[in-house]
Order: sequence, then structure tokens, then C-alpha cells
Amino acid sequence: MGFLDNSGDIILDAVLTDTGRMRLAKGDGSFKIVKFALGDDEINYELYNKNHSSGSAYYDLEILQTPVLEAFANNTASMKSKLMSIPRNNILFLPVLKLNEAFDTSTAKHSDTGTFLIAVNTATETELEKDSSGNILAGVLMGESPGRSANRIRVDQGLDTDQISPARALDPLLVETQYMIQMDNRLGNVVSKTDAFRASVSFVDDDSVATYYLSRGTDPEYVTSITDTSDSALQAIQGPRGTKLNFKIQTSLELNTSDYLFNTIGTTENFDSVSGATTSHKVITSTIRVIGVNTGYRIDIPVKFAKKV
Amino acid sequence: MATTYKNLLSSDLANTRTLLHEAIPITGSIISGTYGGAGTALGSEPHIKTYSHGMFESVYDYPYLSSSANQIFDVTVGYASTSPVSASANSQNSKKINIYNQMAQYLVGYDITGSIKKFTMPPTNATMKECYFIPFGRLLTKDEIKKGSFTLELGVSGTTAFTHGDALFAERIKLTDTSGSSGYYVDSPTGEYGVLFASTSAGSTALLQGETLGSATTNPAVGLLYYQAGVAVLSASIFNEGSTSGHLASALYVNHPRVTSVGDATTLGFTLAASGATMAQMADGLRNRIYNISYNNTTELNSTIYFCRVGHGDFNYSSNPTYLTGSQIRVKTRAADTPVTYFTTVGLYSADNELLAVAKLSEPLRKDPTNEITLRVRLDY
Repeated sequence: MGFLDNSGDIILDAVLTDTGRMRLAKGDGSFKIVKFALGDDEINYELYNKNHSSGSAYYDLEILQTPVLEAFANNTASMKSKLMSIPRNNILFLPVLKLNEAFDTSTAKHSDTGTFLIAVNTATETELEKDSSGNILAGVLMGESPGRSANRIRVDQGLDTDQISPARALDPLLVETQYMIQMDNRLGNVVSKTDAFRASVSFVDDDSVATYYLSRGTDPEYVTSITDTSDSALQAIQGPRGTKLNFKIQTSLELNTSDYLFNTIGTTENFDSVSGATTSHKVITSTIRVIGVNTGYRIDIPVKFAKKV
Repeated sequence: MATTYKNLLSSDLANTRTLLHEAIPITGSIISGTYGGAGTALGSEPHIKTYSHGMFESVYDYPYLSSSANQIFDVTVGYASTSPVSASANSQNSKKINIYNQMAQYLVGYDITGSIKKFTMPPTNATMKECYFIPFGRLLTKDEIKKGSFTLELGVSGTTAFTHGDALFAERIKLTDTSGSSGYYVDSPTGEYGVLFASTSAGSTALLQGETLGSATTNPAVGLLYYQAGVAVLSASIFNEGSTSGHLASALYVNHPRVTSVGDATTLGFTLAASGATMAQMADGLRNRIYNISYNNTTELNSTIYFCRVGHGDFNYSSNPTYLTGSQIRVKTRAADTPVTYFTTVGLYSADNELLAVAKLSEPLRKDPTNEITLRVRLDY
């Protein structure tokens, strides 16, 4: 995609996304545009210079000169960061999503890979679940039988600042009540931390990206309020806290029973195993995206799907 | 509650239709001369695709074996079974009749008895029983040929030499649908069609029977142009001289122009060519006499316009990771400062938040509580 010509009048370059075309082709009425959002993917707000010597008219000089790329047809490549409407103008802090690895070892990433390592079958689970001393390894999720381990992914939401005490309640306007999880549907699906609930897929797009919506109230096994208002080291959010999202990943039958995807989009890596030796595994590296539906903030969580060779 | 979407109301949508025209100039050198040139026999040029059935040939803009070649148009020929030209001894007689009937049933239709009607010229009601057919590729024609824009220039020099070369084009006539923009016909099953009128375009005197140079009223009707179907139908009489029901001036054309490379070398108009030449040879003959073709195509764009109205209180904050530093908004120093954002993209969503269309601005737009913006996003179908 090239840059848009910005030498004259402002123009709008509009295209249907691949998902839009797919829905149009279905002819089942699923192509219906009912809302819009604004995105600022290209903008780097670090360029906003509040100390410009020439005054406030020059604060955003560099931002306004940002060249803009043409529209992407891939639905997942655009609108990564959205603008928000908040019915108040005097807000100085906005909530973020943050991976909580401090709560206990069951929410931490795998230390060797810096990702969440998901064992796709029983043999791999046995191989990677524990270290040679018999201790449960952090960051290894059980993909075939998620209930086998307490390990999970936890995302916290709130104001991550030390300027406001966590004892203060987060402004209700800023509390995230609904999360969107997006992941490759070929690799796995979302399950609750108790393994009792498999999340319902809202839709799977043309790139096999599945989207899940999980809400506080209707999905209490996934989304709950953070009640800890102390200055605790177990919390990822330093300031006022909103909600937290807990989930696990169950690997797909295809990964469990076949090497095709591993051979096609994967690679091979060595991991420390329960025996203390290093063993070879087929690995697919991917990300799981968590987005706050109301606040628009998002984080990409790195994961590796591993299968013992 | 913070929100990232804004619903579109029914009053935020508008539908419109736009006609887009492109000029399509096809130079004669592409049609007959560029690839192979004088050194290659007619019909053997690498950009001309012929078929074993021999019923038509296709003209490409590039050697057709290349993946980058595009089909421009086809050429074929046919006559009615009741034509005086028709004879069982003719080369490909039944196929020539079949092509005529196929094109006639498609472009002219049937009479009340279910019989296939013949091509007739609306101004004179004269029947065209022998015709050349030029179906243009949809790649260039798009939705239809723009009425009044079509020009086909033919070389009609009576030279006996019949090879590649400029000698054929010393005398030329131009076929245009000049009345198309205001005087077209609608009784074809394939849509609208206009009449092609011929006039002298190169040469010292009027080349057409009864023509007065510069007088449009004396230009004879020599063919039909089906705008939506993208098919030109040329009367074969355009290559016959006036004393034999042709359109070329009798005084200038003692012999008919040669329109194939086979048969009698001196008196070979369409009538005689039709008996001895194959359809491919006759298609080669017409192609070799095309000086150029030009027309404008038409693409009908149906558009939906979404008016994305951004109120003063909308979209004044961002979820961009660089918008915050330690959860504090980077563009504010204190809470009372005005929030400001800059957006580059408009996303159009379904009810389940799937991104169905995306529009990019050519430069970032500033949004703060002191301004309101209406973005007009047009999607074409």
C-alpha cells in the first residue's frame, strides 16, 4: 500500500474489507453497515510537543504532517487503535489493559520463551508441565486438558499510574465491562479458567480469526471486577482498578491430531522437559489479542503452540 | 461509559448512481501490424488466436500466450441462409449461416412465429443478410459503449496487394454512431443499439456512393452498434461497390476492394470472398483493413454514501498506546486541558463489530471538543 497524496484537498480512500466482500457475497443480509469508528493507527502522540517554543499552534505540527497509507483490504490490519467518546472533557488518565503476571505463578508467562506455551496433546503436556524437580512450570497451558493445571492468562484493566491511589474507585465511565478476544480459530479456542465453560465464538472471519465477546455479568467465569484496592504487589495495575479477564486456551483437534499446520506455518524449538533434558518440539508462534470493547485499548499476548516431536 | 463506536441513523445514508467513462483507443497497428508485421502471414500473428473450429478469431493486445495479454475483441462473419451469397459449395457455408443466426437471435430476437429475425437497418428497413461481427471484450467495454462515441476507420483502397502495409489505408472511410447519443433504438433483446454511418475520412474524393463530402445527410448507414452487448455489426456491402448494392462509389471502384488473401486477385469483394474463403480468412481480411477503433466505455457505479457525523463530544480520546504515558494522557498537562486526538481512518462496522469497509484520510484530522466534523464516505458497488 502506498501513501495517499496529501498535497491538495483532503480525500477519502474507501474500500470494502475482505470480510465485507465475503459477507456481501453470502447474500444473507449479514453485510449491513450500522456504525462507524475512527482510527489513528498512524499517529504517534509522542510527537505532540507541548513545549514548542512558538506556542500551542505548533504543538501538533509534526503529527499533522504524518503521511497516511492507503486503506488495507484486510479487516484485521486496520483500526487497530480507535478513538473513544467519553462524555467528559476533564479526564487526565485513561485505563489500560495489562497482563497480570504478578498475581501468582499460574498467571505468569513461560520464563524461557517469554510467551504462554500451550501444549497441544497429552504427551506434550506431560513433557512440559513440570520441571525436573516436579514443580509446575509457569506459563505452560494445558491445551488438550485445560483443567489439568491452574495456569491461565489474566488481563487486568485500570489506571496504571502511581499518581492515584488504588483505594480510589475507578470512574464508572472508564470501567471496561466487555472484552473481545481474537485468535486464530485453526489453533484453538477460549475456555474459562475452571475449564467448565467453552466460550462461544461470535464470528470467524475470512482469515480464520475467531472473535469472542465476554462481558461482566453474563460471563462471570471470565470477567469479574478487581476488588483488591490495596497497594498490593499481586496487582498489575498500580492505580484504580476496573475489571479482570481470566481465560485458558484449548487447542484445536487439528493441532492435536495432525502435524500439517505445524509443518506449514510452524518451526521447531527445544524446551526443557520434565526429565531435565532438552527435547525438540514443533512450534507455532501466534498472538491472542484482547481488546476492551468500550475503551478500545488492546494488548497482543504472545503464545506458542507446542507439540512434542 | 466510554464508547468507540457511533451508530449510523437511517438519515445518515444516501444512495447515488454515477456513470464513469473511459476512452478506449485501439490503434490499427495492434490489430494487424505490431506483432509479426509484414513478415508474418495473416492469421499467424502471435496476438491473434484462432480456433480449430474456425468460427471466429480473437485479437489480443499482446501475444496471447503471455499471461499479461488481454482479449480486446473477436471477429467473425456470417450470412443468412436466404442470402444470395449462400451456397452449399461455399467454404464453411453452414457455419457462416450458424453464426449469422446465432448473432441474430441474440441481438435481434424472434418474430411472433418464433423465427429468428434478420438484421435490419432502422433508417431504411433494409435487411443486412451478410455481416461482419465484432464482439468487444467486456474488459474494455465494461457495462456498455457510450452512445455517440464509437468510431471505426476502415481502409478501402482497391489495391490488389493484400498483405500488411499502409497501401490498404490510402483511402479510408470512418464509421461512427453519430446519432447514438440522441437517436438510438430499443427494440433489441440485448438493450439499446445505434446505427453506424459511413463517411470518407481519407482520400481525395468522396469514396461512398452518393456521398457529398462534408454533408452528414448523405452518409450511408452501414452497420449497427449494440451498446450494452458491445457488438458491432457491419454490413458486408461496405466492401462492395455501388452497382452491386454496395456502398463504395462505382466510379472509383471498378473492382471491389480485396478483403481476403485467397481467390480472385482482382475482383474480390465480400460477395465473391464469401464463397471461397474460410471464416478465419475473412476475419483476417476485415482485421487487416481496420485502421483504428475508438470508443468510450461506461461503468455504472452504484454508491452508498455514509455520513459519519462526529459531534463535538465524540471521539476526543484515543486508545492509541502512544496516547498515554503511565496511563496519563500525553496531550494534556492537567485535567482541565482540552483533550485532542488525530484520526486517519474511518471504519464502517456491522452490528457484531466486524469491520466491513475502511476509508483512509489523506492527512490526519484534528478532533477536539471545539469542533464537529461530517465525513462523507462513499462505497461503490
